[in-house]
Amino acid sequence: MKFNRRFVFAAAAVALMASGGPAMADLKIGVDAGPYPPFASPDPSGKWVGWEIEFMDALCAELKEKCEVTPTAWEGIIPALNGKQIDMIVASMTITNERKKSINFSNFYYDTPTALIGNKDGDKDITPAHLSGKTVGVQASTVHQKYVDKYFAPAGATIKTYQTQDEANQDLAAGRLDYAQADAAALDAFLKTDQGSSCCEMKGMVPEDAEILGGGVGVGLRQEDTALLERVNAAIAAVAAAGTFKGITGKYPDLNGVIITP
Amino acid sequence: MPLAATVTIFTILSFGDQGYGDEIARSALMTVQISVLAYLVGFLIGLGGAVGKLTGSRVTRGILDIYTTVFRAIPELVLIILLYYSGNAALIAILGMIGVTGVQINGLLAAIVVLGIVQGAYQTEVIRAAIQAIPLGQIEAAKAYGMSPVLRFRRITLPAMLPFAIPGLANLFLNATKDSALISIVGFTELSQATKQAGVFVKYIQGNPLYLLVFYGIAALVYLAISMTSNQFFAYLERRMRRGQARPA
Repeated sequence: MKFNRRFVFAAAAVALMASGGPAMADLKIGVDAGPYPPFASPDPSGKWVGWEIEFMDALCAELKEKCEVTPTAWEGIIPALNGKQIDMIVASMTITNERKKSINFSNFYYDTPTALIGNKDGDKDITPAHLSGKTVGVQASTVHQKYVDKYFAPAGATIKTYQTQDEANQDLAAGRLDYAQADAAALDAFLKTDQGSSCCEMKGMVPEDAEILGGGVGVGLRQEDTALLERVNAAIAAVAAAGTFKGITGKYPDLNGVIITP
Repeated sequence: MPLAATVTIFTILSFGDQGYGDEIARSALMTVQISVLAYLVGFLIGLGGAVGKLTGSRVTRGILDIYTTVFRAIPELVLIILLYYSGNAALIAILGMIGVTGVQINGLLAAIVVLGIVQGAYQTEVIRAAIQAIPLGQIEAAKAYGMSPVLRFRRITLPAMLPFAIPGLANLFLNATKDSALISIVGFTELSQATKQAGVFVKYIQGNPLYLLVFYGIAALVYLAISMTSNQFFAYLERRMRRGQARPA
C-alpha cells in the first residue's frame, strides 16, 4: 500500500514535468486547429503545412522574429489572443467590423474574390449594363445578395434568391438563370463537377466593394499592440513586393485563381 | 507533404512520417494524462468538499453548496472557456499587482486544474453520500478508542466510505475522459482533436469524405478501450475494498 501511494505521486509528478510545454518563442501564432486545408493542417509527420503556414514563415522572416505555430480552436481563438496565450492570429480570419470591436487587423494578406458564373457561351462581359434584362441568382441573406441588389438590380437585371447556393447552381444548370454569383472558391468547386463543367463557365470576378463583401483576410492582433501592427503591415507589404505570394500560391494548384493576394 | 497518392488503412495508421499512428497514440496518451490528473485533482477537492459539507461551519457549508450547485449546473464547455481564459488573465493580473510579472502559466496544468475543479464538484457529492452511508457505530467505536479526527478519517472514514463511493467515482472517471475532449477548445491536441485533424487532411488530399468517418471511428474505438480498461480497474478496486464485507445476497 505504501509503495502504491508513493508510486502514484511519483507518476503524477513525472507526468507534470514531462508536460512542461515547449520553450518560449518570441511570437506565438494562433492557427485554426480545425484544421483548414489547404491553408493550415498537420501532415502525417505532425508538421503544420499549407498556404497560410508558408505565408506565416515569410511574414516572420520579414519581422525577424522566431514564430511558433500554436494550434487553437476556432471558437477560442479571439479569447486566446486577448488572454495572451497567443500573440497573433493567422487563421484565415475575415476582417469584419464585428471582430474589430475586440481585436485589431492588419491589412489583408489574401481574399477570396466574388465571381459570376453563367451559361457556356464565351460571353465574358460582366458589367452591370451588360447584365440588363438577364436573371442573376444568389443565396438569400448573404453579402452576395447585398452586392447584386446594389449593382445589378438598378441596371435592370432580375434577381432571384435561393435558400442554398446549390439550388441556385441547379437552376443555372437547368437554364432558369443566366448568372449565379458567390465566392469564387465555391463556384469553382461547382464548375469542377460533371454537371457544372457541362453547362457553365467562369465569367469573371466582380469588382471589390469592401463595404459589402468584407475586407479580406488579415492578421489578428491585440488592440494594444499597435507597434506590432505597424511592423506586420510593413512586413506584408515587403512580402508582396518580393513576389513571395505568387511563389507560395503556385505550390497550391487548388488555390490558383481562387484567391487574390496583395 | 509525405502522403502517398494511394493509401491503405495500414499506411494511414503507420507510425512515422507516412501515417497518423504516432500522432493518434500520442494524443491518446494526452487524453489519458489529462483525464487521470484532472480526476486526481477532483478527488482531492471532493474529499475536502465532502468533509467540509458534513462537518464545516454554516459559512463553509454555504460556500460548498454554491460550488457544487453552480459547477454541476453550468455546462463543462462554458466553464472551461470561462475559467481558462478569464482565470488565467485574473491570475496574471493578481500576480502583477503584487509585483510579479512575466509569469508564464503552464497551459496544460491550467487545463487540468480547470477540469479538476469541475470533477471536484461531482466527486464532493458522491463522497459526501458515501461517508453518510458508513454505519454510525464504526465512527462511534473509533471515537471510543480515542482516535483523533485526522486518524479517524484516515483509518475509518476513508476505507469505510470507498466501497460505497467507487461505483459513482468510476462513472465520474468516464465523464473525465469525455470532458478531456473539451480541452481541445483551449488548444490541446488530445485524441478527438488529433483524429479530426488527420481525418480532415486525408479527406482533403484523397478527395474522399469517407476518411473522416474512418478516423472518427478510430477515435471511438480508442475511447472505448480507455473506458473498458478503467472499468476493469475500478472493478478490481471495489473488490479489494470490499474484502471482508458480506456479499450482497
